[in-house]
Amino acid sequence: MTHSFSGSKRFAAKFVLCLVAGAFAAAPASPGNLPDKMEKPNGFPERPMTMLVPYGPGGGSGQLSRAMAEAVTEVTGAALNLEYKPGGSGTVGMKSYMAAPADGYSVMEHIDDATSAHALKAKNPNPAEVFVPLVTAQITFSQIYIRGNETRFTDWDSYVKYVKSKKGRSTIANVSKAGSMERVNLKFITDHFGMKMQQISFDKGGPRYAALKGGQVDALFEQPGDVRGFLDSGDFKPILTIYKTRPAAFKDVPAMNDVGLTFEPLLRFRGFYVHKDAPADRVKWLKWAFQKAWHQPSFQSFNKKKFMDAIDSFRDTEGSVKLINDTAAIYRKAYKSMGLVK
Amino acid sequence: MEHFIAGTLTLFSNPVSILIFTGGLLGGMVFGAIPGVSMLTLAAILLPFTGNLSATDGIMLFSVLYCSGVFGGAITAILFNIPGAPENAPTCFDGYPMTQKGMAGKAVGAAVLCSAFGGTCSALLMMFATAPIANWAISAFGPPEIFALVFFGLAVAASVGSGDLWKGWLSVLLGLMIAMVGIDPVGGLERFDFGVAYLLAGIHFIPTILGFFAVSEVFIQMEKRAKGTTEAPKVNLDFPTFAEFWKLKLAVARSVVIGFFCGILPGIGATLAAFMGYNEAVRWSKDKTKFGKGELEGVVSSETANNAATGAAMIPLLALGLPGGALTAMMVGVFQMHEMEPGPLVFVNSGDLIWVVFAAMFFANICIFFLGWLQTKTVVHMLRIPFHFLAPAILMMATVGAYAVRGLVVDVIVMFTAGLIAFFLRRSGYSVAGIVLGLILGKVGEQTFAQAMQMLQYDFSGFLDRPIGLALILGGVATIAMGAWRSFVPKPQPEPVTAVSD
Repeated sequence: MTHSFSGSKRFAAKFVLCLVAGAFAAAPASPGNLPDKMEKPNGFPERPMTMLVPYGPGGGSGQLSRAMAEAVTEVTGAALNLEYKPGGSGTVGMKSYMAAPADGYSVMEHIDDATSAHALKAKNPNPAEVFVPLVTAQITFSQIYIRGNETRFTDWDSYVKYVKSKKGRSTIANVSKAGSMERVNLKFITDHFGMKMQQISFDKGGPRYAALKGGQVDALFEQPGDVRGFLDSGDFKPILTIYKTRPAAFKDVPAMNDVGLTFEPLLRFRGFYVHKDAPADRVKWLKWAFQKAWHQPSFQSFNKKKFMDAIDSFRDTEGSVKLINDTAAIYRKAYKSMGLVK
Repeated sequence: MEHFIAGTLTLFSNPVSILIFTGGLLGGMVFGAIPGVSMLTLAAILLPFTGNLSATDGIMLFSVLYCSGVFGGAITAILFNIPGAPENAPTCFDGYPMTQKGMAGKAVGAAVLCSAFGGTCSALLMMFATAPIANWAISAFGPPEIFALVFFGLAVAASVGSGDLWKGWLSVLLGLMIAMVGIDPVGGLERFDFGVAYLLAGIHFIPTILGFFAVSEVFIQMEKRAKGTTEAPKVNLDFPTFAEFWKLKLAVARSVVIGFFCGILPGIGATLAAFMGYNEAVRWSKDKTKFGKGELEGVVSSETANNAATGAAMIPLLALGLPGGALTAMMVGVFQMHEMEPGPLVFVNSGDLIWVVFAAMFFANICIFFLGWLQTKTVVHMLRIPFHFLAPAILMMATVGAYAVRGLVVDVIVMFTAGLIAFFLRRSGYSVAGIVLGLILGKVGEQTFAQAMQMLQYDFSGFLDRPIGLALILGGVATIAMGAWRSFVPKPQPEPVTAVSD
């Protein structure tokens, strides 16, 4: 009994220690941890830097990159020119960036698509290995939305009943390319509830949101920051948050734990990278500049508007590497179960 | 009406707003006229600076830029066969042949009048029925209907500018094949990239258009000079007469409706509007053979439609928060910089802003008429520049334009390859216009077809439950059948005149 008690105590102590360590690992580095100023390494940068964005200027990556570039300039006074190279789901931009000189003058924005692409095909580079993550600036969960005035179903339970009754004819709009974050998350959800549904892929936001608003599809899989306007106007209503627990901003919406979903949710994340072979002193300075910029009030205000304060949205270099590798492992496991990889 | 007056007063009572309005108008015209370096380039440059403007001025600047930028590209399309922007590509089909016939003034004049007219009609419709139209459009038009619309458009594409129907269809099919290069838009599969990663982004239609029209034209003119058969285009400043316009009233009205309609649908926009407007002009014409050879109706149809799409594209953006194209997506960024989200709440929370935008777009289109008239009287004189000066400038502008689209060298290679291919195709009866139509409509068509099939459970009979889609599909099938019938059934030969002996 004593032994058992002592064992429990030890277990409890370990558990608390793990929680504390985990909390520290996940907690955003406070601006206090970063020096206010850092001397430019041998005058670097002497000219404007280039931020390569592998997507168009109007989308989430374009907006984030502009906000980050402005914040970096606020912190350092150094100018960043944005160069958009859209196409091929970010592949073309990454290929272009890899061909650029590794001198620290060019940095790249990329999203979790690079991680899933690597997990799907080993020939695609692992962003945590070929680049140095400067900062992960946005991390967000996904939700399932229905129309605000929908009457056939009004919450998650009635939606599940409706989808089952339609026997595979119910539709949901998303970016359902093979192996996409959306498709993998939805596979786990539909498998758990024994649902079959038709996933309609829209690669652009406008037509995707129009499909739900106009009644062309029954539901939408999306991240809250991208549909904020529709949420504020009441046009869209979230019925499930694909995150373990309920974030405070969506405290009335059931999360995974509430509906019995136990899989590890795949998150959307966007970050900034520099060549692994760039001079070490420049990489160190860039890490400081981008992480400091993340803490700038202007950037925080931008992220808040995008619901990027709902969960911890910051990872420093080590945190980003862990995030990328952990996510790649989840994808690999999912792809195996989906038969996409051996 | 009082809202419109209030919006107008707000716009013109503030010197800063007037300055921004004028800057947007002139900037759009200039950037729109430079191939490849379109209004989108200017918009991307200006975007970060709009944070320092008021929300009203920022949104107003982009909406004025949109109107004038779409018009600006028509000038180079008509004078040099170089569309300043993709939405001006169909203007080349008849605009440039008109220049070669010494009717440049007439073609540019028609483009000015029709752009202003189409844009003004669209702005007026936008003011009176934004919310109801937007809601109707997205409810009535899902992927099956948009695919049916594209099919309807493609059905007539084979008859545009080809020697015969079969060469026309082969041209369209080649365009559709080119559209399939890269990652497929629905399943994400990699296709026809031949191991070249840059091809995964697909063949962009802007470098292709620049190659097909501008580069091949330089090659053709070079050949003519080598053979000594070159003939300098005559410079003519005659505007089209009222009588000429009156004859085209139905074409103009049809293009206003088509342009407005295409503009409302998210993801369709001004480029498809211009092609659809041109296609319908061909479809409804009694003599289809006159198109592609310098027909005023061709210029009128495409330029009316592309400008009619500008006001319409603002409708889903403002009423529903749905951007339909790249420029409207950037406007979402302008809204967000000012802590606003476009959509129904904008009407409630920022009604003043909406009416300033409406007023700005209305007056921008009116200004296009007067500025365009001045532009016509001056810019047509560029035709007097000797070819040996003009050709390098055209190639340089086209190269910069092709590279500027995505910053990829592969786009420059695509442009020159397309130029070389078009140089041979244009003399063999194949239709360059058909290839471009196939390429542009193919990208939208493939995506919406796959989405439609998913929605309809891969059952074609699902179209029977969607009356709009069904009507468009049947219209397309009938057009193809009529075209085939005409090519199979020999035209009745005129009776031989027999000599009558006294």
